[in-house]
Amino acid sequence: MTMHAPAIPGSPDYIRFRSAVGDHILVVPYSRLFDVPPELCASWERDAGEIADVVSAMGETTLLEEELSKIPLPEPQSISLNVSSSCNLSCGYCYADRGGFSGKQASRMDTATAFRAIDGLFSRATTDAPVTIGFLGGEPLMNRKLVHDAVQYASLTGASRGLDVRFSITTNGTLVTDEDVAMFRSHRFAVTVSVDGDRERHDAQRPDTRGRGSHEILERKLAPLLDKPGLAQVAARMSVRRNGTDLQSQFDSVLGIGFKEVGISPLRKTADDSGFGDADYAAYLSELADVASGEVVRARAGMPIRLTNLVIALRQIHRGWASPFSCGAGGGYFSVASDGKWYACHRAIGDAEFELGDSCGIDRDRRAGFLSARHVHNQTDCRSCWARYLCSGGCHQEASTRTLASCNFVRDWLTFCLKTYCELTASPSTRFEPASIGAMEI
Amino acid sequence: MSFDQGKLLPRNVTAHRRLSSPVTGKHRVAGNPASSRLESGVGNCYPGLECDVRNLERRFVPFMEMDVVAVVREIRLVSVDLGAALQAARAGEITPEDFEVYQTLSGDLGDGAAAAVSRLEGMFGVLGELAFDLSQLNDKSYGANRRPPDSWTAVRMLTEGAPLKVSFTRGDGTTVTLNTKRERYLDDEGALSSIFLPGEMSQSLCSPWTHDFRDCGCHYWASNHPDIVQPVYPAGGPGTQDQKWTVSVPWQRADRVIRDEPPPSAGPFRPSEEEQLDHHEINHRWEELHFVINTRETTSPFRPGVVHGTPLLDRATLLRHLQYAAGVELAVAHEYLAAAFSFKPDGDPSLAGDDALADSIRAARAEIMRIAIGEMRHTRAVNDVIRAISPPGTFKPALQVASALPRPGGGHRPVVPRVASRAAIDGFIDIESPSAGVDGLYIDILATLENPPSDMPEGIAEEWSEAVSSIIAEGEDHFQTFLDIREWLGAYEEAKYLRDPAATRPDSTQPDHVALQTAYAGVLDDLHTGYLKGRFQGAKEINEARRDMVGAGLSSLASAVAAVGFIVVFDVVADPRFAPISPP
Repeated sequence: MTMHAPAIPGSPDYIRFRSAVGDHILVVPYSRLFDVPPELCASWERDAGEIADVVSAMGETTLLEEELSKIPLPEPQSISLNVSSSCNLSCGYCYADRGGFSGKQASRMDTATAFRAIDGLFSRATTDAPVTIGFLGGEPLMNRKLVHDAVQYASLTGASRGLDVRFSITTNGTLVTDEDVAMFRSHRFAVTVSVDGDRERHDAQRPDTRGRGSHEILERKLAPLLDKPGLAQVAARMSVRRNGTDLQSQFDSVLGIGFKEVGISPLRKTADDSGFGDADYAAYLSELADVASGEVVRARAGMPIRLTNLVIALRQIHRGWASPFSCGAGGGYFSVASDGKWYACHRAIGDAEFELGDSCGIDRDRRAGFLSARHVHNQTDCRSCWARYLCSGGCHQEASTRTLASCNFVRDWLTFCLKTYCELTASPSTRFEPASIGAMEI
Repeated sequence: MSFDQGKLLPRNVTAHRRLSSPVTGKHRVAGNPASSRLESGVGNCYPGLECDVRNLERRFVPFMEMDVVAVVREIRLVSVDLGAALQAARAGEITPEDFEVYQTLSGDLGDGAAAAVSRLEGMFGVLGELAFDLSQLNDKSYGANRRPPDSWTAVRMLTEGAPLKVSFTRGDGTTVTLNTKRERYLDDEGALSSIFLPGEMSQSLCSPWTHDFRDCGCHYWASNHPDIVQPVYPAGGPGTQDQKWTVSVPWQRADRVIRDEPPPSAGPFRPSEEEQLDHHEINHRWEELHFVINTRETTSPFRPGVVHGTPLLDRATLLRHLQYAAGVELAVAHEYLAAAFSFKPDGDPSLAGDDALADSIRAARAEIMRIAIGEMRHTRAVNDVIRAISPPGTFKPALQVASALPRPGGGHRPVVPRVASRAAIDGFIDIESPSAGVDGLYIDILATLENPPSDMPEGIAEEWSEAVSSIIAEGEDHFQTFLDIREWLGAYEEAKYLRDPAATRPDSTQPDHVALQTAYAGVLDDLHTGYLKGRFQGAKEINEARRDMVGAGLSSLASAVAAVGFIVVFDVVADPRFAPISPP
């Protein structure tokens, strides 16, 4: 059965913008980007109706493209395991209440549950694409043994099924041992470390349970892995609280520890109410754009871009990424709680609305209902926005924090990235190679 | 729709995809022919030609890009494709230790530090196994302990695929060594490996290429680098005298004025310095150089003259048309041969003292023979197409001579072998006329191959449309050549260049004629067997047929018929395989 969420007629199907290299138009369906030469601009000044004709023709589906109203129901291709229900840090903004999810995840995951989940994934995943197993918590390394066992189990069984198995882990970095480093180095591990800035900022935002800072120990523990990552890709994720300023120097600080790439995330939905308010977005955009512009200067000189947000935006613009979903939640991606239940996403552990099955199987109807409700055509705020296939509504968990200001920020940031893409790829000296524009391999 | 979608310039992948999609209709861009491709171009180590093969050496180490600066004996690291190295490491193609070298150097580059090759150890072609520091190279590549003279030559000499040790000196003075092999530059098809990115092979060429081509004396360059062209017509067009505008002139000539008379023809040698724009003038006045379409300069917007044929209904109809087309080629070959043999031979006493006439006759005969042979090649080409699209096991060679030839404007005329009178030449011009006559026949065939009917298997038709396009293109050459022949002979009375303007067909018992017919039937039989057997198996019969066409075969038998005053005629062969074929 193919499900559809029809588009709303009259939604804006294009935006025009100007960069340093000229005029452009983005045709919203399929995110098609064009230059508009001066003669055509002039012609459109005279006859605005022409634009509608052009856009309508350019927005048609073509070879290799799926209808945007379609709701794909793929088999799972990646899962995360919430292996730990506790954490040695005590960050105020934590979405997981330090791993316990406000009582909904009472204990750590045991081996049997983890292996069952991996089996459930492997029995359904296709060999056409990589499968990923992620480790989350709380702090996943508080259940170190399980992580190591699961990696070993998945590597062996995955190989025997002809699967390309990869791993990911989001960690506070303070508990990393030599053994962990060896494991990261010898597998295709995407290691995301939460580092919120320089020592002062980081320690203020990410104290341990006794209120002491965690920056110094994180730096020490991660040094060997940063120095020699082996097969691992190690990236930093910097969370920004309300009133968080000074983005450039925080960014530089994190790079200074040895990370090749930093992703910046503004906090929106937080336990301690430290998320962005409407008034925060303007300054944040300005600072983020400055950081990004600095990276563009590097890119022009042939150096990699170190701001993950920009790398991903440029890659997606280049590919013409257009999706009615902002992520794989409930689609190809599921998150497994310590009790073995499968949720649409790791931020929703314990939330009945996001519970979609277990390791024996996905509840097809619940899942179809979930995806249908999340399809951007069914979001009242989103379906009439030009950015609907690029932003796609943003994180499902943050939907309740959506405001005009937060959406304006997203649109403005995307416009900045579109302009940047046009300017960067116009320069004959920069050969745009999506695979290598960032500091790390795709 | 009022807009011209070509005015929007696609920027990203999905924009490109939309504009090249079949949804928008088959959008053939008029441009350089498929033959003008970089890999078939004339590459050189001297910039200014189509690609700079020195750019191959920049990627002699897998996953790395270097700048080889021979004059200072350096090889500088430019980039590392860490992603590809990682894939290779995963696949076990490179060791973890070697992968670490890639990582280290990639990190150096990311930090803005430099790295350069300091030492090479490997197999250097004829110089054998060598190991040396680049600083040891000193131009002396002979005598005892000889080494490559410089860093580029060293890299150039490395044997493809042979083990190679490359040592790099990093910015901080430390050294890392990579164990690798000299990279492959070509893939299994002999095409440039995909490690080379678009533009890379020509990135170091002289700009503009026009400087080098101005100085080149070869006069043979492909259409995308014009050196000798046909001149642009004046405002009123060529008028009735368009033959005189068929003249070869230097494209970069200094005299840019367009007059009512064509510029003087370029001689056999390179145009003189005075005749051409100076190099610095090219830089400033390049906009005065004309676009060249179909070898002729043009100053007006070019709209490709698309002649649309009508696709035929089904495979059977297509085959019938192709069989008739093969028959047409044979029939016109008959007419052209009759014409060619009707000229006075070389050394005919009546030509003594008139070299110009003798030359014109020799040229006319040679050109008509060339065209006749061209038609025979077309017969073979059409048979190849028929074989390819016939259902398996059903192929029958198409060697039936057409009973009537298509007339431009419609209808048919009988096949009439005759002497090369003015009327005959006019008839030949008609039959080769573009988009009409024989051309018109092929245009529908081509349209069918490009839009195959549903009962044809996929993929086959498109492959063979090139063969038909070539036949059409050669027809255009034949047309032009007959126009030239008309001009060459135009000043003379027919009796001056023909053996006998009133020559007739021989009687069926005439001995030379009989000998010719017997040989002809034998050639057809050999061709039939050879075509039926197909490529390689049929080589013996094809070669025999060819041997029997030249020398003591058909060629001298035909001369003998002409020498006794008759028209060279090829009678219908009494064999059902060669019965005449009528138009479909």
